[in-house]
Amino acid sequence: MKNIREKLSKFDFSAILAPVLFGVFIMILWQTQLLHKLIGTDVFTLPLPGRIVRIILDNSPTILQNTGATLIAALGGLLFGSLLGYLLGVLAAIFPKWGSGGLTIVSAFNAVPIIAIAPILNNLTKSISDEPQIRSMVAKILVVTLTSMIPMSVNAYRGLTNVKPFSEDLMKSLAASNWEIFSKLRLPNSVEYIFTALRISVPGAVISALVSEYFAEFIIGVGRQIRENIVLAQYATAWSYITVACLVGIILYVLLLIAEHAVLKKRR
Amino acid sequence: MKSVFKKKAYRFVSLFTALTLTLGLAACAGEETPSSSVSSKAESAASSSVASTVSQESEAVLKEGKYYSADATVESIIKDAADQGKVGNWGLGNEYEVQALLAKYDLPIQYLSQNFDMDGFDDDSILLASAMTYNELGLIKNDYDGGYSYGDSVKYIDMNDEGVAMLEDNIFTTRTFAEENPNTVKAFIAASMKGWKYAVENPEEAAEIVYQYGSSVSSEHQSYMASEVKKLVETDTNGKTVTDYGVIDEEAMFSTLELAQKYIQLSDSAAAEKLAAMTADDVYDKSYWEAAMLSEEALGTPEKKEVSIQIKWLPQAQFMGYYVALNKGYYSEVGLDVTIVPGGGDISETTAVYTGQVDFGVTWVSNLIAANAGGMNLLEIAQVYQRSGLVLAYKIGG
Repeated sequence: MKNIREKLSKFDFSAILAPVLFGVFIMILWQTQLLHKLIGTDVFTLPLPGRIVRIILDNSPTILQNTGATLIAALGGLLFGSLLGYLLGVLAAIFPKWGSGGLTIVSAFNAVPIIAIAPILNNLTKSISDEPQIRSMVAKILVVTLTSMIPMSVNAYRGLTNVKPFSEDLMKSLAASNWEIFSKLRLPNSVEYIFTALRISVPGAVISALVSEYFAEFIIGVGRQIRENIVLAQYATAWSYITVACLVGIILYVLLLIAEHAVLKKRR
Repeated sequence: MKSVFKKKAYRFVSLFTALTLTLGLAACAGEETPSSSVSSKAESAASSSVASTVSQESEAVLKEGKYYSADATVESIIKDAADQGKVGNWGLGNEYEVQALLAKYDLPIQYLSQNFDMDGFDDDSILLASAMTYNELGLIKNDYDGGYSYGDSVKYIDMNDEGVAMLEDNIFTTRTFAEENPNTVKAFIAASMKGWKYAVENPEEAAEIVYQYGSSVSSEHQSYMASEVKKLVETDTNGKTVTDYGVIDEEAMFSTLELAQKYIQLSDSAAAEKLAAMTADDVYDKSYWEAAMLSEEALGTPEKKEVSIQIKWLPQAQFMGYYVALNKGYYSEVGLDVTIVPGGGDISETTAVYTGQVDFGVTWVSNLIAANAGGMNLLEIAQVYQRSGLVLAYKIGG
């Protein structure tokens, strides 16, 4: 037991240390402008990390406000999308004949690019509120809802149906009702699959939120700021928002991994 | 056995509650962060309720039917639209004149993001919509393909009349390119201006030429556009006629720079400092245009013969001068082989010229100023549009 633990921690060490060292190496290349020579660019198009960090610090209230808007869109959509997706998965599991076919159709939605959905939803939500701030947020949340619903529904369906055949037979032979089989066998079995879905939909939600901000009527959000600043040729500022967008994505993903570890560790 | 299942179910339920709670909390926390915007919203709501009681008395003058009265004042219209938060602009560097106008009437400098179509204006989610005289204004008024057929039930606020005009379409290159290839620059200006002269004298033919080179809009709209662009090339911000095509009007340039310094907000402190310290010399150099206008013989041999120009948008009569010069062979007359590169969407003409993908570009002076503040070394060499083509359109009657 102890051996395994040691091995695990050793593995973690190299799994964390190697990428961190690589990151530091790239940062050194970047700050010393060796990276610019390697990829043939200049400090205007790819500003130095120092300048990017300084812009983030100088504008922290504005950046926080924009990040807040992006987080609401991403997390709101993720929440609604995951709940809705799970519900779809449950429905598909209850009616398996229609379910798997239905889910294939739902997955087809995945092929529609966000760039196409966002302006359409923008127009469809115009009558929702007189406040552009509210109707824009609704449109953005809807985009994220759509994109995070699909992985959740597919994975929930798998989690709910991929049960060990003998356990289902055992429960049936013990005269368990359908509800008991569902709540005591299928639901717990799907927990692992929920995390598989979230691993796809958390980064997806952040990206969908960023892109949908491009088309929103109310001008706010990290994605919109990236677009504005690139068009205005303010590359240093654009890079600082790109950095913030990356941080948001990474932090959310790490939080998810921690939650997954905590939940699934107990189950094993 | 049962107890194990129960435990698992319990864990599952607790997991879900925890997940919902964290997400809910995060959403709440996120909502609280822009607290300033919430309070300002409350304030503006309060002020608009005050304003609505006040404006009810003057409503008879301001409103006629559903929309504005034909003789409502500019001030009353822009105040009403701003109070409702229904002033629209595309953003992305096109917003400074609208911001200056809002500031002129002491209104909050806020606008809705307008799409590149006029659907927002059509469905009333935008009451005061940004429009270029030669493009969107024609689309909302006219009934040809792609038009919204509003005809005379649309009026507009002109930035030139309001004293907040900023100079738009110019020709620019990098300072380095101009210094290394002075003859190329002069030859390009001379031939382009010859093209522009022919285009404004024969707008119908110019529109047809542009249409041949690939067009995003109908031929009727191209010919409407040509007739409106003619006005912008031949009239200055004060309404006086301009005969020297491409001349850099220093007075208009100064006021453009002044407005740019006031309304371009840059988060990068280094860029903001550079913007504040910027002078007209950092923006343009008249000497190339002056030399180009002297005589065709004095142009000299171009240092670089194959050159390209990045236009700010898709091929349309907005850029008819260049297409006419290409079509009529004016560029080859001066020894140049010119390629016109279409723009559109988020393509940044300043970046394209700065990185050397193209040699010349067409941009708005404010965009050039912002780019130079950000660290580019762009140089305006001619000013094609002498007055602002931006208007704020509104519906009347109802």
